[in-house]
Amino acid sequence: MLPARTDFQELKARFHAAPAAPRTGREPLFPTAIASLDALLGGGLPCGSLVTLEGYGTAGVRSIAAALLAQATRTGLGAIIDGGELYPPSLEAAGVRLERLLIVPAGTPVRAARAADLLLRSRVARVVVMGAVTLHAAVWGRLASLAHKAGAVLVVLAVRAIVEISAAATVCLSCRVARPVHTGTRGIWGVFTGFELQAELRKHKFRNSLTPFVVNGLVGMVQ
Amino acid sequence: MIVCVRISGGVPNDAVWQEILDALDAVTPLIEDVRCGVAFLDMQGAGGDFAAWSRSVRTALIPFAFSPCVGAGPNRFCAFAAAWNGDGTLIAPETQADALAPMPLVVLECDADTIERLHLLGVTTLGALAALPHGPFVRRFGPDAARWHDAARGIDRSPFIPRGHAITIEAAMLGEGSAQSEAAVIFALRVLIGRICSDLERCGKRASALQVEIELESADTARIDVQLAAATSQERAMLDVLRAKLEGASFPAPICGLRLRALGLEEGGEPVPLLAGDEIDRANVAVVLARLEAMLGEPVRRAHTRAAHPLEERFTYVPFTLPKRDPAGRSEGEPTRLVPQLRLLAVTEIDVRLRRGEPAIVGERAVQHCSGPWRIEEGWFTAPVARDEYDVQLDTGEICRIYRQGERWYLRGSYD
Repeated sequence: MLPARTDFQELKARFHAAPAAPRTGREPLFPTAIASLDALLGGGLPCGSLVTLEGYGTAGVRSIAAALLAQATRTGLGAIIDGGELYPPSLEAAGVRLERLLIVPAGTPVRAARAADLLLRSRVARVVVMGAVTLHAAVWGRLASLAHKAGAVLVVLAVRAIVEISAAATVCLSCRVARPVHTGTRGIWGVFTGFELQAELRKHKFRNSLTPFVVNGLVGMVQ
Repeated sequence: MIVCVRISGGVPNDAVWQEILDALDAVTPLIEDVRCGVAFLDMQGAGGDFAAWSRSVRTALIPFAFSPCVGAGPNRFCAFAAAWNGDGTLIAPETQADALAPMPLVVLECDADTIERLHLLGVTTLGALAALPHGPFVRRFGPDAARWHDAARGIDRSPFIPRGHAITIEAAMLGEGSAQSEAAVIFALRVLIGRICSDLERCGKRASALQVEIELESADTARIDVQLAAATSQERAMLDVLRAKLEGASFPAPICGLRLRALGLEEGGEPVPLLAGDEIDRANVAVVLARLEAMLGEPVRRAHTRAAHPLEERFTYVPFTLPKRDPAGRSEGEPTRLVPQLRLLAVTEIDVRLRRGEPAIVGERAVQHCSGPWRIEEGWFTAPVARDEYDVQLDTGEICRIYRQGERWYLRGSYD
């Protein structure tokens, strides 16, 4: 019998050598309407999935979340579980229809989890955005399962997703700002208009090749 | 025959007037509410004569301690003129022109300028007005003059418009034992909702809100208002919302009575979209909103943006209500714009060092790029705010919104 480590390495090598499981084409997709991101994801985020958007500080994760909410509120409802950091004018500038966005105030992790649970069970919102609160792995597993049953996209915003969330996630996307975009000079004549975003697909249950991509042309700074 | 009831001293408020009208229902069910203090009663088909009707009106108004002027005539204007002339005046059919002739022009209730102009022409009574030629008078005084001229001759073609009666739909279960379990309360509510929905369907109405009064053995009463996302007469939708609203509620004593009232009644049936692919399930949303509210202790919100200078005043929150259906709002396929999102942080004081008048070091981090200041200055008539706001890019790559108020610096948020 081979030592356990060798056995594991061999198994891992076999997995990598195996061809990617063909997509059945049955999984419905939620297009993000961000061309480069959709191209990378093969058309969009899988409906019924837990998606983590990770990034430290100014990383663009909320920009992507706002874009997803904008897409969701075009025809249905979106929901955001807010810990008091929301700035609705920015969301509106990103195209989110505020009259179709449920803002659920939840100050504690347990409340946030219960709110997400209720929203997903009821299937009222196509996209639910929440922060990465500290919860048991089983809770994240349950939320992922509920998202799957509801066909909704549960977006979790994190600095760096803890292993419990990553394990339950279908897609993990790590973001960082490649280059802030300023127009004009410094001082009163300079305006921060956005940033170029670089994101790396760290995990995708239905895809093997994980490649970084760059989203260009972020504009529309809210003054 | 039309009877006019006019309260000569005036009525203090509309609520009292509505009570008077309710009392007059005892005389006839057909009552036109003209304005506060004046009502017409259609007595066509009612037994008795004017004296009997007048007595009935007085009897009905005894509790109110008002002195009514009651008059009657073949049409609305004649009845009004009779009541104006004095209590107990009756203008009989076919004699109205003669009866109205000596009355002054103010009975017409036209504007003071018109009356003054007619006085200058020597027309001071309805009889003199009736004697004027119809065509020239209307050409000179405008379209309303035709109605005045007809009225002066005792002709009133305006229809009698009976007032609508407010419908109260409620069901109660009181003094039939007490409930100590949630299941028993839900069962009782289901029964009450069944009764209410049956009444709503019979009236062709839908309710947009419900009110539950819960009577406790301790003689306390708890009242719960439940707003439905969309007006409905469906039992299931109402029960789901009520159940969600009551989730987690606890009462200090056993429940001994329930009263359920349907509010905000609307006409008509429930609109159902033919192509319901992406439509919002309003009943389902109402249930979720109620559940979340019961769980959080505060309502789910929606944001409104508005024009204001300080960041924190550029939006407000209101309880979430579903938007009206707007098919024009569909815009699938439009590219999404990526816009940096400002993340509001708890306002904290920070240490900022300046170089050439602009922030160079924020906390321990060097500023790589700085935009601003954008000055916010509000007048003395509001809470005075005078601050300079900056967007700074730190050497960590983070972009923050900071501001200076007075001599102190604060961190307001960061972009993400």
